Amino acid sequence: MKKERPNSFVIAEAGKCIGCKACELACFTVHNQDNGVAASVGTVTIPVLPRLYVIQTDSFTMPLQCRHCENAPCAGVCPVQAIRQEDGAILIDEDRCIGCKACAVACPFGAVSLYKSYGNGQEMKQPYLKEQQNGRLERKARVIAYKCDLCRNIESGGNSASGEMVSAGAVNHYGSLTENGGEPFPACVSVCPEQALTLVSPSLGESRPRTAAGLGSLRSLRL
Amino acid sequence: MGNKVLTVCPYCGSGCQMHLLVEDGKVVGAEPADGRTNEGNLCLKGHYGWDFLNDPQILTARLRKPMIRKEGVLREVSWEEAIQFTAEKLTAIKEKYGPDAIMGTGSARGPGNEANYVMQKFMRAVIGTNNIDHCARVCHGPSVAGLTYSLGDGAMSNSIPEIEDTDLLFIFGYNAAVTHPIVARRIVRAKQKGATIIVSDPRKTESARIADTWLPLKGGTNMALVNAFGHVLIEEDLFDKEYTANYVEGFEEYKASVKKYTPEYAESITGVKANDIRKVMRQYAKSNKAMILYGMGVCQFAQAVDVVKGLASLALLTGHFGRSGVGIGPVRGQNNVQGSCDMGALPNVYPGYQSVTDPKIRKKFEKAWGVTLPEKTGYHLTEIPHLVLKEDKVKAYYIFGEDPVQSDPNAAEVRETLEKMEFVIVQDIFMNKTALHADVVLPATSWGEHEGVYSSADRGFQRIRKAIDPPGEVKPDWQIISEVATAMGYPMSYRNTEEIWDEMRALCPKFSGASYKKMEEQGGVQWPCPSEDHPGTPYLYEGNRFSTLNGKGRLFACEWRAPLEQPDQEYPLTLSTVREVGHYSVRTMTGNCRALSQLSDEPGNIQISPGDASSLGIEDGHLVSIISRRGKIVARAQISDRVKTGATYMTYHFWIGACNELTGDALDPVSKTPEYKYCAIRLEKIPDQLRAEQQVRQQYESLRKQMHVGAGQA
Repeated sequence: MKKERPNSFVIAEAGKCIGCKACELACFTVHNQDNGVAASVGTVTIPVLPRLYVIQTDSFTMPLQCRHCENAPCAGVCPVQAIRQEDGAILIDEDRCIGCKACAVACPFGAVSLYKSYGNGQEMKQPYLKEQQNGRLERKARVIAYKCDLCRNIESGGNSASGEMVSAGAVNHYGSLTENGGEPFPACVSVCPEQALTLVSPSLGESRPRTAAGLGSLRSLRL
Repeated sequence: MGNKVLTVCPYCGSGCQMHLLVEDGKVVGAEPADGRTNEGNLCLKGHYGWDFLNDPQILTARLRKPMIRKEGVLREVSWEEAIQFTAEKLTAIKEKYGPDAIMGTGSARGPGNEANYVMQKFMRAVIGTNNIDHCARVCHGPSVAGLTYSLGDGAMSNSIPEIEDTDLLFIFGYNAAVTHPIVARRIVRAKQKGATIIVSDPRKTESARIADTWLPLKGGTNMALVNAFGHVLIEEDLFDKEYTANYVEGFEEYKASVKKYTPEYAESITGVKANDIRKVMRQYAKSNKAMILYGMGVCQFAQAVDVVKGLASLALLTGHFGRSGVGIGPVRGQNNVQGSCDMGALPNVYPGYQSVTDPKIRKKFEKAWGVTLPEKTGYHLTEIPHLVLKEDKVKAYYIFGEDPVQSDPNAAEVRETLEKMEFVIVQDIFMNKTALHADVVLPATSWGEHEGVYSSADRGFQRIRKAIDPPGEVKPDWQIISEVATAMGYPMSYRNTEEIWDEMRALCPKFSGASYKKMEEQGGVQWPCPSEDHPGTPYLYEGNRFSTLNGKGRLFACEWRAPLEQPDQEYPLTLSTVREVGHYSVRTMTGNCRALSQLSDEPGNIQISPGDASSLGIEDGHLVSIISRRGKIVARAQISDRVKTGATYMTYHFWIGACNELTGDALDPVSKTPEYKYCAIRLEKIPDQLRAEQQVRQQYESLRKQMHVGAGQA
């Protein structure tokens, strides 16, 4: 069936956030299970690469992440069409990304970051492009755009903070699976000890209060 | 799939219950459990802080075999040799210099209450001294001393869950967001339920950010502010006269002491506006339910016990005791620092806060332990450097689950102290900075590998459970201590922790009904729990009867004293040591968790104001030199809008940016707690950043080598 409602997004309430970064670690953990995070042996050799960032200024503290814009400016500027609308979310095809930074510049929220790409705990290298390193030519690391994917790219959907695969309903604090149209709860929402994060799944024209809540949260950003 | 083991988180005093997920004998994850204090929530340390059990060797390596220093190098030996050697050395020192030449510590961290009970029994019954103390001395020692004086019990009068149901929260020198995220949750919920939040802190903490009123006082001026609060309560007739007349003593002296502390006078010292002082006291006095929470911002000054008593006095004057949702809460930092105090790992009390100088109580313990016990109070942990270096009185040190070189002030002096001693025993789970000075290293089991009981900050006994088998040849702490005792001619043979626990509670009226069975059935037991049919006590002082000798609360005020070391031209900035949310204590645990160490790693940060940064030409993220009269270190500058000009803050977890190389050894005269929150420093810009980064990397590598990383099997 065709989608009848806007994209979902995760929003934080600055009045509840204590800046503990549990969300950053949860995000990193569930997105890097093939990089040895949350496994029981070996050492994680890759840096923490969360897809949301706790920001702290004089007057507020809260994590910031992709709003999954309906008319996503990041997708509009992507020269290789690596950013697509899919199943109620804006997703980046990391294999296709060329690291041109256009999306990061276009994003009004600063929700896209460029980092090195990792696989199996190793830096991914480019096939052709080389650079001088330690006095010799070496293949340059691949750099790609990272942003919140509402945990859609995680196999088997539901997740808990530790990467253990359990049903989202078992760990979420807000609503239920049916209320959110069967969407898995993102790791950041599940893990937050202050329940400061909410997955907002607005419905066009129907659920005014929920949309209003989302917009209210948007205003709290004072952007 | 593997199995789930219910236990209590090993970080901070919130006492969160959790499940460890175990597969093939390894811990692979953690899940929150529905505990009394955490209700299905964990912070990031709870979620990701189990990884050190897998010994990933990021900062240090796990100790696996006993070691004895031979020709200057720690060599692995058998348990028989290590125990024999330890027992012989301790016996020889005891014979040559007397029992008071030996000092021992408890451990407020992983070992649990039973191990602490056995340790203090070992020091008292086997060595024959009351020289036992632990890191509460550098932490909430002033709370134990101050609240015992004012109220009779050195603990939170109320419970963590009650925080969200009060009408007014008065938070003093306590940054819950960083130290106890799960307590911070209660503060956030209190706010949402309509409570008024007042925060007194020099820094704009997360609590200050959501507070109705933030009192940004100048560091080191607590007593002046607390006196002014008392002044307003009396001058404006806001105090509860009936309550004060019936349940409180010392009013006239108190009134006289706070007389000169008008809000205007306090403003001149603290920088807090006189009108704000008046406003918050009116709110505090008129609230039906008001609760005080405080932390290290009160305790880690050379005037700390006075401030604790002063805060308790505010609650006494306004009748905020003896009910749910009121009282005063020293929120204990380490997971079992309440427990190691409960177990008498203190120089002045036996388990259950029973005085060592009371002949009747001493007799009870002498009978139970079958020995004659020493009469005089023992040494305080923080006096040891002086007692060794200046008075030459202490010759041996049994350090159990602590790392004083990293955690105690003036690290250079601590190292000198350990080097001068004849015999140093380190009993721990990880190689640490203190073990570099040890003559014997005894490897112990960790949280997750043994059974026991922890006490949460709100007096809650809860069971910890074994989830996995320990590595190498390590043994539970209580067993190691028992073996040393036996080798010294005092046989100790416990079969399990429950047997130790039952011996302990038979001697402690406050704990006697808190059986393993009851903890199992109820999920936990809050003391006092005087009998088998008693469920435990969520809040103290029912009927406004205090635990003091005559049952009355005691008011106290005295003159404010400025911190010892003031900034000057050479050292123009002040330094306060603080904590950060993703790390814990001396970092041997969290620094060895892959996710947590990646989030924040060496050399650590120094928070500075934008003004000071720009006048020194320092940029955010740059390495800077930090210098005090006692030492020099390097850390990364973190420029923050929330820090006042002239003030700086460093977290004490880091080994390269080790702020305790800088801190001073000024002590509170009563509790002997160091002034971690105030010393003078200067900052220097480092022009060659590349070289500095390289030096930090080299320093980290050489530290790890010293910590035996990579030496054993992972």
